[in-house]
Amino acid sequence: MTTLTKPPADSVLVRRPGPRELHPARTHRRRRALEVSLALAVPLFLLLLWQLAAAQSWIDDRVYPAPSTILADGWDRAAAGDLWPDVWATLKRVVAGYAAGTAAGYALGLLMGSLSLVRAALEPLLDALYVVPKLALLPVFLNMFGLGEGPQVALVAATVFFFVWISTMSAVMSVPSGHRDAGQVFGASRWQMFRHVLLPASLPAVLVGARIAAGVAVLVIVASEQIAATNGLGHLIFDSRALFQNDVMFVGIVCVAVLGVLFSELIRFAGRLLTPWAPRDRGRGQS
Amino acid sequence: MGDPHPKPTAGNPQAKLRATTLTRIFGRPPRTVDALGPVDLTVTPGEFVCLVGPSGCGKSTLLRIAAGLLRPSTGTLEIHTSSRRPATMIFQDYGIYDWKTVRANVRFGLDIQRVPRREANARADDWLARMGLSDFADAYPATLSGGMRQRVAIARALAVEPELLLMDEPFAALDAQLRTILQDELLDLTQSLRTTTLFITHSLEEAIVLGDRVLVMSARPGRVIAEHRPPFPRPRTGDIRATPEFTALRTELWDLLRKEAAPA
Repeated sequence: MTTLTKPPADSVLVRRPGPRELHPARTHRRRRALEVSLALAVPLFLLLLWQLAAAQSWIDDRVYPAPSTILADGWDRAAAGDLWPDVWATLKRVVAGYAAGTAAGYALGLLMGSLSLVRAALEPLLDALYVVPKLALLPVFLNMFGLGEGPQVALVAATVFFFVWISTMSAVMSVPSGHRDAGQVFGASRWQMFRHVLLPASLPAVLVGARIAAGVAVLVIVASEQIAATNGLGHLIFDSRALFQNDVMFVGIVCVAVLGVLFSELIRFAGRLLTPWAPRDRGRGQS
Repeated sequence: MGDPHPKPTAGNPQAKLRATTLTRIFGRPPRTVDALGPVDLTVTPGEFVCLVGPSGCGKSTLLRIAAGLLRPSTGTLEIHTSSRRPATMIFQDYGIYDWKTVRANVRFGLDIQRVPRREANARADDWLARMGLSDFADAYPATLSGGMRQRVAIARALAVEPELLLMDEPFAALDAQLRTILQDELLDLTQSLRTTTLFITHSLEEAIVLGDRVLVMSARPGRVIAEHRPPFPRPRTGDIRATPEFTALRTELWDLLRKEAAPA
């Protein structure tokens, strides 16, 4: 992208091949190697810094246990089978709530995106509900569903619902009118219009909403488990802090982080399979 | 044929721009695309050179190399200038900014060069007047028609008084009538300015009306396969479109181009 100038006496601007053009394979290889090592080196460096700080007692290792302690503890708990019931409990709630919320949000978003009367009837109401912090609804859900899995799943579903609903509605509304017109001229029925035009046209934007919702679902379940559950990772984190088992608390936090990454990568991967025509997100994994 | 300009010879010290065995390859081995060349090309100062060729023949690649947006894979392209940024470019999709008013768009290049605001405004207004846009100085581009938007783009490019003007199918998105009108406007403008120009187009009419020279490029990888000098002395007007020489040259160019454009 740069231009090379000779000394002004010559006053000739020369556009010539750069290293990328002269050695394309080598430059690309080096660039990839640099990207991969940076992606690994930055977290690794921070972990080492943490380890060092704990080992040198710069930080209180009873409050902030060293990464090696957390890892060893996590390994022991996993091997002993203490960890899995909590992971499993959280996972079940997230998946159930996510599935229900996505289905409801998608259906309503589609309906409101295509029918302006439904939109007129429901949009102000849903906008108002959207801004209510979902955690504030937990007591309501507790009253509705009693103790047990019901309130947790409902809370995740309510959270996910709004993300998917908004992205679906705006995606359907922004389908170019030329696409609709072409379908209409060919005489497409409502179902055919959905199947051939609205569904594929809106899918990439819907999947972006679904991916954001995946992260938020994990976030919400951990918060609600701290308040009203007797198991799950959120409960583990809060409970171990109360018992001053800070290493266990960090094991829980790491598990939540891993769960969140895996879940949202899964949704991203599914999205890629579902929309082979859409341009991939730039950045990671880009060759 | 009347030659309005002396034929450039190899090693001509008068050259404004010279490409030497210029090529561009996209992608990495084993999946590479030879987009351009090798191209050898010399443009003299003040010359208006039109490039025509089939889609995907690397015309735009050549222009982007000249603009400094892309580097060549092999060969060099020299521009004789004392400036670091001698070229401005006009794009097919206007490239003007929706969030700036017409005046601010025209002033953009001057703002980048840190020309004082008062002087920049005066120069922008001068260009707006020349392009017949004075009434729209404070309007946003979204409210303008395609032809007016492209006039804004032309004013923006010329307001910085570039040594080299690069135009990449600037009128391709306009309807046929508007296209003819803007061709005539550009003809007037360039004949008074004598800015060295590289102009890419799919329209043979456009190339013949505007160019001192018309270069025909082959299908990918693009090489220059023919060179014609429209036999119309300057200053010329759009009326040359009605002459038999015009039609003859267009037919000749089309015969050349059809062989390249049609899949073999």
